[in-house]
Amino acid sequence: MSEETTHQSAYKRLKDLQKRAEQGGGSKAIEKRHAAGKLTARERLDLLFDKGTFVELNQLAESQAIDFGMQEKKVPGDGVVIGYGNIDDRLVFAYAQDATVLGGSVGTLHGRKICRIQDEAIKVKAPIIGLFDSGGGRLHEGFFASKGVAGIFFRNTRSSGVVPQISAMMGPCAGVSVYSPALTDMIIMVEGTSQMAITGPGVIKSVTGEEVTLEELGGAKVHSEMTGQAHLTAENDEACIQLIRELLAFLPSNHLEMPPVHPSEDDVNRTDDTLEEIIPASFRKAYDMRKFVRRVTDNGDFFELLPRYARNIIIGFARMDGQTVGIVGNQPNVLAGCLDVNSSDKAARFIRFCDAFNIPLINFVDVPGYFPGVKQEYAGIIRHGAKMLYAYAEATVPKITLALRKEYGGAVMAMCCVGMGVDMMLAWPVAKLVVLDTTAAVNLIFRKEIKAAENPDEFRNEMIQAYDHKYSNPFHAASNMLVDKIIKPSETRPELIHALKMLKNKQPAEPFRKHGNIPL
Amino acid sequence: MADITAPMPGKICEVNVAPGDTVTAEQEIVVLEAMKMEMPIITPAAGAVASVNCSKGDAVQGGDVLVVIE
Repeated sequence: MSEETTHQSAYKRLKDLQKRAEQGGGSKAIEKRHAAGKLTARERLDLLFDKGTFVELNQLAESQAIDFGMQEKKVPGDGVVIGYGNIDDRLVFAYAQDATVLGGSVGTLHGRKICRIQDEAIKVKAPIIGLFDSGGGRLHEGFFASKGVAGIFFRNTRSSGVVPQISAMMGPCAGVSVYSPALTDMIIMVEGTSQMAITGPGVIKSVTGEEVTLEELGGAKVHSEMTGQAHLTAENDEACIQLIRELLAFLPSNHLEMPPVHPSEDDVNRTDDTLEEIIPASFRKAYDMRKFVRRVTDNGDFFELLPRYARNIIIGFARMDGQTVGIVGNQPNVLAGCLDVNSSDKAARFIRFCDAFNIPLINFVDVPGYFPGVKQEYAGIIRHGAKMLYAYAEATVPKITLALRKEYGGAVMAMCCVGMGVDMMLAWPVAKLVVLDTTAAVNLIFRKEIKAAENPDEFRNEMIQAYDHKYSNPFHAASNMLVDKIIKPSETRPELIHALKMLKNKQPAEPFRKHGNIPL
Repeated sequence: MADITAPMPGKICEVNVAPGDTVTAEQEIVVLEAMKMEMPIITPAAGAVASVNCSKGDAVQGGDVLVVIE
């Protein structure tokens, strides 16, 4: 006859199971990870959350599969740790895949656990973080696992724009563990130890014959420079976790809240004479827009996203008078600051993220136009460029645009101007708001006259000067209310903060519809 | 080893390095004029200049190797 259950014996059984779950794939597997410079799933979560606040859920969930060796291999927890806790005293949900258990593969219960914590995050409207370290679906469990996989995608999509979703890639990932991140708002990759690919080098070699390593195929460098998939990269697990915490500090918990305010000592009325040196009055001189941004924001902070992808535009978060703002700026140092396919994609998605989470947009404009060329046209610049138009017109958060130098042609609309729903259109006195560069405009308007002139060059120069004086300035635009205020460069920071304060309670009226149809 | 290439077609208006020079990361080594803008071409990483394949006034195509760093 079996012994009668006591409180003590039942509790001991629990402790044994918990211990088993906490060991994951066992001490050897953990040592191997540490030797490779990687933390375990639990160590990552410990770092992510405020000390001692993480609460694990469904720790004892275990695969029900018994075939193909699963009976021996399965571990309580099923290779993923889920739960909630505080980050900077705010509630956040998270799941972390444990690659020591069956390679972190997504089995049926593993998938259900992730779905369960996603549901919780949506219910209480708090951000959710995924720490990915998995090769994808678990083959041992056949097609059963696919329901969990599909469920993760479904919830990623349904919670998009409701709560911030951040994905950290912390190991070699494929299949579900790359498509789920792709559906979330931000991806951070650990350099050297994380990779993302839909099909790995083995499959590629067997199908196309191409030989490539996993790092060459989908390492942090590839995704931060070529595909634009990774918003940020970090040199190791600790730095990656730190970036997630920094990123969250800019964001509200959900679409109904405003981002947290982080008061700063930086004077809202701080003027800066060096701004005129950073941005040369000569339009031929390039400069680094990021230097300008860092002189204007609180404490010179700029949390840049996708810094090495489509570098002709810069995007990122900063604070002005403690309030989170989303910054979009042309980068004259790269491709003269022209817009192209990739920069349009990069900016449009950022604009929509800011709009979803009540983050005002500040647009720093110095754009000569769309980058010309057959390649760009064939790559679909019309459709991709239209994304920026769509995103700005759709955005209902405060939108402030500052014309710094070039406001040329159709690209002006893509950077949000009057008529595109901008709330405050500012300009520096040297800015030129024109349809075309003056020389090009004069050559077109006076083509016949220049040809017929006694001295064509002289005539052209005269016309250039006349056209420049009339149109190539912000004064003409201001006289037509296409610029609301021309500001002194040194007063850029206080002027932007005044505008932000005025717009704080902007309450846009939205037309009822199911949803729009952004050109994708 | 890094090939520093022209990001777009343009004209070389400054070459600031010679073979054998050591360079630091993000150093401005060439200035390319394109789209009516003088844009600095910077090094991705520190190293030594192995070769310089352009000179002032050259017209270059996008993708042309301007400088090789090792």
